[in-house]
Amino acid sequence: MSQILTIANLTITEAVRRRLLAAFLAITVVIVGLSAWGFDRLSHAQSLTSGESNIAVPQALILFLFMFSFVLALSASAIASPSISSEIESGVLLTVVARPIRRTEILLGKWLGLAVLLAGYAAGVCALEFAVVYWVSGFVPPSPFLVGVYLFAEGALLLTLSLALSTRIPAIAAGVVGVAAFGAGWLAGVVGTLGTGLNIAALRTVGDVGRFLLPTDGLWHAAIYYLQPSSLIVQHFAEGQRSDPFFAQGAPSWAYLLWVLCWLFILLLAAVTSLERREL
Amino acid sequence: MSPPNSAERPAVGRGETVAADAPVRLSEAGGAGLGSRSSVATASPAVHTVALHKRFGNTIAVKSLSMTVERGEVFGFLGPNGAGKTTVVKLLLGLSRPSGGEALVLGAPLGDLETRRQIGYLPELFRFQPLLTAREVIRLHCRLLGRPKTAWTQDANEALHTVGLLERADDRVGTFSKGMQQRLGLGVALLGTPALVVLDEPTSALDPVGRHDVREIIRNLRERGSTVFLNTHLLEEAQHVCDRVAVIDKGTAIATGSLGELLGHHSRVRLKVEGLGPNWWSGLGRFGRWHREDEWTIVEDIDPKRVADLVGELVRLGGRVEAVVPEQQSLEARFLELLSER
Repeated sequence: MSQILTIANLTITEAVRRRLLAAFLAITVVIVGLSAWGFDRLSHAQSLTSGESNIAVPQALILFLFMFSFVLALSASAIASPSISSEIESGVLLTVVARPIRRTEILLGKWLGLAVLLAGYAAGVCALEFAVVYWVSGFVPPSPFLVGVYLFAEGALLLTLSLALSTRIPAIAAGVVGVAAFGAGWLAGVVGTLGTGLNIAALRTVGDVGRFLLPTDGLWHAAIYYLQPSSLIVQHFAEGQRSDPFFAQGAPSWAYLLWVLCWLFILLLAAVTSLERREL
Repeated sequence: MSPPNSAERPAVGRGETVAADAPVRLSEAGGAGLGSRSSVATASPAVHTVALHKRFGNTIAVKSLSMTVERGEVFGFLGPNGAGKTTVVKLLLGLSRPSGGEALVLGAPLGDLETRRQIGYLPELFRFQPLLTAREVIRLHCRLLGRPKTAWTQDANEALHTVGLLERADDRVGTFSKGMQQRLGLGVALLGTPALVVLDEPTSALDPVGRHDVREIIRNLRERGSTVFLNTHLLEEAQHVCDRVAVIDKGTAIATGSLGELLGHHSRVRLKVEGLGPNWWSGLGRFGRWHREDEWTIVEDIDPKRVADLVGELVRLGGRVEAVVPEQQSLEARFLELLSER
């Protein structure tokens, strides 16, 4: 375990010195600052009734966090994809693997270090954004903590996927595949939602399979569910909007969450096996 | 240590040592099976391979390599570019898996985690975390080695002092030149008093001063009892510091032995003799092959032990021997000769 922590510590130190945290912080301040202005305008708009405003603010928050989930996914893929492949190409990894450390410990250490960075980023943005929204509009999501957890989990899945790819393919390819997979997963989710709304079984199946193969969209919808106030859910069903990709019908099932954990475990196992077997 | 150019050793032909090692099963090395690690670890050679084989697709990188590196010696692993030297190093360190054969390093199977604690390694491609300082890199390796935290500062200072980087200890590695990074790599390899130090082309980026320093470091390692496995294509480097060498080409060891063994039977003598008639050497063919170069007479392939007999014979014949200059074939010449014979 101590070797895993050594590598995790090294990963975080290097990220900090690459000014990754500074970049995260700068982006966060900009996007939260802009959203604060937007939410203030929205919640104090003369053209909206208080009832409309109570629906509009959570909807805008969902859209904002969708944008943030994309930034988070992109960040996860960007920081994970070079972490193994670049070190193999440059030779940095050679001196480390020759020490009394298992390659499994190297990979898990890197995963842990990157996951801590990602969790910090997700927690920071969510806390700041929710505080700003509460400050300007008084709205608090039903479960802000779980929103943060699901957004982080979404990023962690992509981080794991990119890390696993990084054990075999160059950084840029791993990054592109990671982001493309995220986009494809989201698109499959939209197709599934359309299938549900229009009652087309084939499209619905695409969504179901997509959420099974890459559970990022499923986790995004879990985050949406914990962002939606009851007023929004009531209005949604009253208006019969069944094909809205920014609406979650219900909380994720335990079976689905179990599958997400299995998916994460399988991918980590694949990454570890791939690195263990790789010729250096 | 015997002088590298000693001519008193028996001649060794191509691959003779290899053949002598071949029948030994690794599990029998040191008289004990792999199960009794401690007895093997102390009694076994630093490196022992039997028919080690490595294939990448259709390319054979290492072909039935058998060799033994004894503890405490500086062993030169020589070969042209692409001969398979680095592949062998990677196999020995467990960075790559053999396609066949067996090997023990410090008495343990390849890739043994605990054994790595006793191995220092400077890779051919030496790169370190560019955002860490030299001191932090050393401390990282102290941590990976499991050195007690109280020793990290002293370890770092000693290692950096040895390789001449103490003044740059707190500078980031990314600002270092290639030569400085190679020095740092050497410092990292020396941490923890390793029993075996594997140096893969350790002077490739160094200036003459740096090369001299590396030779000194290698000699110091030998004095303290460490084994040095020196992988190089710089033959002069090997000739300066190695006790024994193996020449590898196309993945196969083509000659193994001490430098004396490798070069000894190929020594020659340059003579200046007066007072004898023309073609006086025609009756002395038993000492070696003869030819003239201006006023000098050259005897090729003479056994160094017989030089005194030759001089005695010339004096007996009435010759005045003005000069006897024993010459030994350079390692480079011998190396090229070995390669051309294949």
